[in-house]
Amino acid sequence: MTQSLAEKYRPENLEAYDPIGGRHPLVIGGETLHDITELVCRPIERKTPKAWWAFFLFSASLLGIFGMSIAYLFWEGTGIWGLNNPVGWGWAIVNFVFWVGIGHAGTLISAILYLFRQKWRTGINRSAEAMTIFAVMCALTFPGIHVGRVWAAYWMFPIPNQMGMWPNFRSPLLWDVFAVSIYGTVSVLFWFTGLIPDLATMRDRSKTKIKRIAYGIFALGWRGSNRHWQHYEVAYMILAGLSTPLVLSVHTIVSFDFAVSQLPGWHTTIFPPYFVAGAIFSGFAMVLTLMIVTRKIFGLENIVTIRHFENMSKIILVTGSIVGYAYGMEFFISWYSGNPYETFTFVNRAFGPYAWAYWIMISCNVITPQIFWFKKARTSIPILFVASIFVNIGMWFERFVITVTSLSRDFLPSSWDYFSPTIWDISCLVGSFGLFFTMFSLFVRFLPQVAMAEVKAVLPEADPHYHPGDAHHAEAEGAH
Amino acid sequence: MAHGHVELTQEQTVIPQGHPWRTKLPLIAGVIGVGGLVLSYLAVMGHVVEAKAFFHSYLTAFLFTMSLSLGGLLFVLIQYVTRAGWSIVVRRVAENAMATLPLMAILFIPIVLGLHDLYHWSHHEAVAHDPVLKAKAGYLNEQFFYYRAGGYFVIWILLSFIYYRGSVKQDKSGDKKITRRLQNLSGPGIILTALTLTFAAFDWIMSLDPHWYSTIYGVYYFSGSLVAIFAFLSISIIAMQSAGLLEGVVTTEHYHDLGKLLFGFTVFWTYIAFSQYFLIWYANIPEETLWYAHRSVGSWQKMTTFMAVGHFVLPFFYFLTRSTKRHRFALLVGAMWMLMMHFIDMYWLVAPSLHHEGVVFGLIDVTTLLGIGGLFLAFFTWNLRRNPLVPIKDPRLQESLRFENF
Repeated sequence: MTQSLAEKYRPENLEAYDPIGGRHPLVIGGETLHDITELVCRPIERKTPKAWWAFFLFSASLLGIFGMSIAYLFWEGTGIWGLNNPVGWGWAIVNFVFWVGIGHAGTLISAILYLFRQKWRTGINRSAEAMTIFAVMCALTFPGIHVGRVWAAYWMFPIPNQMGMWPNFRSPLLWDVFAVSIYGTVSVLFWFTGLIPDLATMRDRSKTKIKRIAYGIFALGWRGSNRHWQHYEVAYMILAGLSTPLVLSVHTIVSFDFAVSQLPGWHTTIFPPYFVAGAIFSGFAMVLTLMIVTRKIFGLENIVTIRHFENMSKIILVTGSIVGYAYGMEFFISWYSGNPYETFTFVNRAFGPYAWAYWIMISCNVITPQIFWFKKARTSIPILFVASIFVNIGMWFERFVITVTSLSRDFLPSSWDYFSPTIWDISCLVGSFGLFFTMFSLFVRFLPQVAMAEVKAVLPEADPHYHPGDAHHAEAEGAH
Repeated sequence: MAHGHVELTQEQTVIPQGHPWRTKLPLIAGVIGVGGLVLSYLAVMGHVVEAKAFFHSYLTAFLFTMSLSLGGLLFVLIQYVTRAGWSIVVRRVAENAMATLPLMAILFIPIVLGLHDLYHWSHHEAVAHDPVLKAKAGYLNEQFFYYRAGGYFVIWILLSFIYYRGSVKQDKSGDKKITRRLQNLSGPGIILTALTLTFAAFDWIMSLDPHWYSTIYGVYYFSGSLVAIFAFLSISIIAMQSAGLLEGVVTTEHYHDLGKLLFGFTVFWTYIAFSQYFLIWYANIPEETLWYAHRSVGSWQKMTTFMAVGHFVLPFFYFLTRSTKRHRFALLVGAMWMLMMHFIDMYWLVAPSLHHEGVVFGLIDVTTLLGIGGLFLAFFTWNLRRNPLVPIKDPRLQESLRFENF
């Protein structure tokens, strides 16, 4: 009984994978091992398309705006932003938290989903990890530039000096420096470790000497021997184990920036898990936005399937609901506390001068994801795309609401003020997207954006009990 | 091609006639349970202990047992919502833990009777002289408290009933539609359970100190309940296998996963407990720190330290290695330890609002725990007899039986 792979994956034959309509094959369209290599490598090897140039130049222009804004900021100081007396912490921290949050999906997908045996992560983990690294880069820019005296930015690090000046070790801002930089480092290591076998593939396929040397250097002499693979697997597992607490710790510490204070609206005990859930929420939304576009452009529909999107939208639903739960708890406890300042802060958020921002946040973060209760929405590309962008908007506003509403209403009513951004606030935010998209477009141009080796490992052919003649993988699996 | 299909025999899936788990265990547990409660009752009636002390001990034991029932419900719902395959062979045990919810509703009655001994806010004269309590009287008042508790139990019992009945019905029919239906319901089910559990934690535990508040409190009880249920599942399944039940059904691979989840949620509990403590310690606002101040006096300080070590440091290193999770006896020891720590956690939450000066652990704490715990076990083991020990016709049973970690 010989059966072509395409035949095998016809819907009526899928029953054996899972009796109640789950566990479909992760790669569809009957792609073979070689097809996957071709699908992923070809876009990198062919001549640079014009569309790529267009997107790259557009992103690079935004990056240029970022550069100019930063230059002007250094020249003039933080006064160019809309900061005022009670609101001394504006968009810089909002953007920082926003980008760090986005940087959570990649390592979550690679580490936590790996530990949970979620094999579907293989289709998206590479791009998500790349995105994580670029998001962390964007994030780290803001604390670097917002210090005012930028020539003293190295004081953020505890460097011994003759003045005996040390950062405050009790400050969560210092812990941020440690947490985010460790997270960035480990994310890069994790990403690079996963890249090694694929870089070797790129090296072996390259037609020019320069490419062979360039990919060859980073492939670290990978030959795909049994011993290499064994080391690779062990390294991957250890990095996954180490990354798991890191994913949770980063946004926990970011939440401490606010929650250790005594400010109503900032100081509340649910902040750490609530921030982590929000970070995963926004990170997955960004992965969704990016993958919907790149999969289409690069023709990866058989590797990044609609089921991948469905799974991601479920995670967005879960984390969005957790975020909604946290909003609810904050609101309830602000009343339950019987503390007039707490109550005032939350009523002010929802009905005060920033009510518009609050309701954007609620509709984007809590209401929008509820659409993913329906399978129709989870499998509709336009809905997924729009919802993912809404979530990103909502999560930016969440940080805005938290930061600005609490600050703008000081304990002393005579200090109250309203925050309005200047053009330089906006250019820094837009510019950071330039940095992000420039990096991302370089990534998709030069590196395999799907983890080929890992995707191949979840194909039925990779199963030790696979026999080409078998009708069903599930039965082949039980053949021992 | 039928090979690879594991056929379960009758002996593997039901408790045989005359087996002690069928004849003796429910009876023994029931006698202990009734005995414990009667002794506690006599102790109060004979003025050996104060009513206040009794009710606090009773509440501690109740919350501990309640987290097993609720943990069972959460476990079952999570398995459905994630369409998990590995866990089918252990799910029935969790379903039986969840099926004790009606019993827990009955055991809630003494708490209603002891409302005034437990909750300061239930005294009108206290509220009248306290502006903070007056401000929250719209929520913290007797009537609303009863309605809410009733609402929680209705939702929990209804959910547990739907899931139990669906699962048992599938044992006969093997109908895949049941799995699909329960899967679809599990998302809303989790939301309902999460919300009710949160407010139950606010009502029953947090309001013991009615001035104090913490937004993470619901998550704290939730995380503790999951630690408790993974410990309980490990212990009861190991006990069942030592008694010759579930032979060849639950394997080392399933223990490994239970151990991993127990480890994971132990760390998660720590994360939540630390977040709450740390933020309150750092901000140092008196109305919040008071709660921890009560737990830092005299011998309470020792117990607080013990919690950090016993509920996190020791189990973290103990469960970190692969071998403890895959070794039956090692897992049993670890799980029993965690269950004990969970009880201490509940005690640590409740008792300081009665004994301000230090830990007073008395016989009444033992008798109430034996009482409620015994009745819980009696009900649990009684339920085990009625149905197969595994969902024998679950469509994913084969996947679970063949499950391997790699």
